[in-house]
Amino acid sequence: MTAAKPAPAASRAPEDRSGDTRFEPSAYEGSMDSDGPQRWGGWRRPALALAVLLGCVAVFALARWLAATPQLDGSWEAGPSGQLVLKSHPLPALDVHRGSTVRAIGAPGMAAQPVDALLLHHWPRWQVDEDQRARQVAQNEHLAAQLGAPGGALQLHFADGNVADAPVTPRGYAGLGWLFWPLAAMALALYLFAVVLVLAQPRPLNLLFVVMALSQAVNLLFIAVEAAGGLGLPAAVLASDLAVRVALDLCTGAAVLQVFVFHPKRLPHAPLLALAAWAALPLWALLVASDAKLPLWWLAQFACLGLGAAALAVARVSHRLEPNPFALIMQGLAAATVVTLALVTAAAALAARLPASAAAVAGGAALTWHLFLASLVLLTPLLTRPRQVLREFALLAGASTVATSLDLLFVAVFALSPFTSLALAVFIGVGLYAAARQWVLNHLIGSSVQTTERTFDHLYRAARAVQAQPGRFAPLLAELLRDLFEPLEVQRTDRVPLRARVVGGGAALVVPVRDADDDARGTSPSSAALVLRFAQRGQRLFTVDDARLADRMVEQLRRAAVYDAAVERGRFEERQRIAQDLHDDIGARLLTLMYQAPTREMEDYIRHTLLDLKTLTRGLAASEHRFSHAAAEWKADISHRLTVAQVELGWAFDLDHDRALSVVQWSALTRVLRELVSNALYHGHATLIDVSFTLRGPVLVLRVADDGEGRAPEAWAHGLGLGGVRKRVKLLGGEVAWRENGGRGIVCTVRVPDFAVRA
Amino acid sequence: MAVKVLILEDNPVARSFLCRVVRESFSDTIGITEAGDLESARRHIALTGGAQGLHGVDPFKLVLVDLELPDGNGMELLAELTHYPATKIVTTLYSDDDHLFPALQCGADGYLLKEDRFEVLVEELQKIVRGQPPLSPAIARRLLTHFRHGGGDSQAPDSGFMPATGFTTSKPVPIERLPEHDRLTPRESEVLTYLSKGFTIKEIAGYMGIKWFTVNDHIKSIYKKLNVSSRAEAAVLASKQGLV
Repeated sequence: MTAAKPAPAASRAPEDRSGDTRFEPSAYEGSMDSDGPQRWGGWRRPALALAVLLGCVAVFALARWLAATPQLDGSWEAGPSGQLVLKSHPLPALDVHRGSTVRAIGAPGMAAQPVDALLLHHWPRWQVDEDQRARQVAQNEHLAAQLGAPGGALQLHFADGNVADAPVTPRGYAGLGWLFWPLAAMALALYLFAVVLVLAQPRPLNLLFVVMALSQAVNLLFIAVEAAGGLGLPAAVLASDLAVRVALDLCTGAAVLQVFVFHPKRLPHAPLLALAAWAALPLWALLVASDAKLPLWWLAQFACLGLGAAALAVARVSHRLEPNPFALIMQGLAAATVVTLALVTAAAALAARLPASAAAVAGGAALTWHLFLASLVLLTPLLTRPRQVLREFALLAGASTVATSLDLLFVAVFALSPFTSLALAVFIGVGLYAAARQWVLNHLIGSSVQTTERTFDHLYRAARAVQAQPGRFAPLLAELLRDLFEPLEVQRTDRVPLRARVVGGGAALVVPVRDADDDARGTSPSSAALVLRFAQRGQRLFTVDDARLADRMVEQLRRAAVYDAAVERGRFEERQRIAQDLHDDIGARLLTLMYQAPTREMEDYIRHTLLDLKTLTRGLAASEHRFSHAAAEWKADISHRLTVAQVELGWAFDLDHDRALSVVQWSALTRVLRELVSNALYHGHATLIDVSFTLRGPVLVLRVADDGEGRAPEAWAHGLGLGGVRKRVKLLGGEVAWRENGGRGIVCTVRVPDFAVRA
Repeated sequence: MAVKVLILEDNPVARSFLCRVVRESFSDTIGITEAGDLESARRHIALTGGAQGLHGVDPFKLVLVDLELPDGNGMELLAELTHYPATKIVTTLYSDDDHLFPALQCGADGYLLKEDRFEVLVEELQKIVRGQPPLSPAIARRLLTHFRHGGGDSQAPDSGFMPATGFTTSKPVPIERLPEHDRLTPRESEVLTYLSKGFTIKEIAGYMGIKWFTVNDHIKSIYKKLNVSSRAEAAVLASKQGLV
């Protein structure tokens, strides 16, 4: 049946089934191999050791038992018409009969029983024809009985009339066959995997995974035992083969279906659906127990395919209810499993009509399919981790299953020659392997492979932005992560892991956000973390590599921010030092000079210079000024001066939005304003000065009007004062114009068209 | 008897200029004592009864203190003179709140900007002595922040010039919330808010529908509250500087 998986299940508390983003600390790690040491403290470690020991002992006990079972030595093959042919035998006395057909086998005190190539057909589970399977089981039972009889030798009745005595020997470890140990190892791996998972997180959904893993482990052991060399297997194994193995497959299928029903999203009527899936099991028991002549194999295949298709449908519904990359990947894997199973079923059914040699190929297809299924069961909890070997193995097993099945189908359906069919099947198998590999990589590794360039681009831009606005570190980081992983949603959480972690079996990534200035406090994380759910808009699972990548991104951004803060601090301190020196030294000297000025004009000139110096130093030392604050100071300053001079001030200040002034803007406006007011005051001898600021969008207009004696501004000689005004207005990117104020004084208008964008 | 005035200023030219300003400002007979550094200022004060002014027969009535002095910062002296019964005025070239605000917290009754014209200085000095201290928008803003945050005053949002060295605001000393009588009344907050926006006292009186001297009373009261609320802070500050 379909493969399945549940580290994700493991990582979710039962009440989390609705798919919300709450997660407990225990949900941080779904997979076992990175579990903290605390989880493996206490009773778990000895329990795991015990389980490992038990598993190994069981496998070796099985091997020992099988090695001790009696058998007929020699290598055998199927003849063209289904007869049993002796290929070779270690005893020279028997080896002379190589190539001869054995028609029957007898034992001392027992009647000779006719035999044929069915004895070689290892797996009754994949014997399509009911009669054939019955004959196969019967032949093997007879042979087992004869092998168990005292006497130590059996008579081989050859078709050519010869009768030869063949010694009955224990199978021995060498006779277990080349398939036994790899299959036993894989079964052991599945078993250990299940044990580790259930020890790490004993949850109901993990128990389902244990059911799947153990079912497939036992299945593999059956295959391993039946693949033993020589003639004659323990009777009970073959007799129970179909019933038990189909039951195990149904178990796996029902478990998969139940997992999909409850995870990642609990579907409506979940318990009912699960119950219906499990009902297949007692039904199968009833069928097997009944004496009715039923096409058991076909029923079994339909049941397995039905469960697989149901699981696939459930995964689709789950994904539609709530887009989730896990459901999506499971859909793909379930589809692959169901399709390959259908292919193998068709191949096996067709092989039954082909020469006996085809049966071996069908057996191979079935074997690779079981390996495929077992590797998927092993793989799914590790989807978020880089397990390339396992992944490639699963892909290879799947592709081989398809290739062998297609090989048979081509021969049977299109009557191609075996060679053409093989070439075509291999070609398709390889193509399938490449395509499936790309699909898996896209859903597991995704952007990190194809878009290194984009990643770099995002990181570079984010780093620049952080340098420009260190205060926006957290939002910029969130933006960067969103660009990189394109999650369906980003949330904040107060639970902060020390490093980025994949949670929910790849459904979400939790990234701690440390502020840039948090550096000094070392590893203490700030109080927030970002939860990214469902990478690439729900198309992809987060992997451990993603977590490491996110960690590195955060680190880089933080470094950029820290570096920039240091540079800015240095710049600021340097400016302050210059400002301080200017102010203290030059300011004090100017002051002395001013007190000693011989004339009033000289004194005013020096005072003006001193004020400019103060503006300059303040501009150096301060980083920015709010427009409204600066205007308040201008107003207080000007009204103070005008009050002393007994001049009236009209003040209008109209901003559509307050904004920060850069140092350049602030000092330019301060000096322009001071200069214009001074002009009106001292040259125009005005009694009323009208100042108005208007900022509309990007357009700033400053208007200073007086009612003084100034006339004909176009004829003015532009001295230091007006030249300075022109220069500073130009610096702001604007223009300045003087004109007569309707015969009473002068109006000066400064207009800066794009005040907002100027730095 | 002559009114005693202490002028602490290291620049002799500026000192004599300030002497002229003081003489011009008051019609009474003036006895001016000049000091060029903190040390001699302390000596003069000790002669008239010490920093607490308890035993003094004839203490200074007016003290002008420059902030930048060869042997320290004028604020140190202000902190020592917290209980000295004189009008204390800061004379400085620094007009930004980062320099002036700490001085006000130390108990200064007002400030004069040394680059102002002679007649402006005379008028300002008279105003301060009459109880009409100046309050610039930047300082008003700073005061609002100060009182809003319960005395644990932080940098004003738009802090201006602040030298890296010397006795400045330094770090705000956190103290517990202001007691009730040290908080601003709604009226005072209103006055401060107007001031921070650059309105003149006359304009504020117009907006609030009160007399200009009522506005002035509010300002005086704010000055006092700032000093009271800062006293604990100043004590901590002073002991940190080894002044007490």
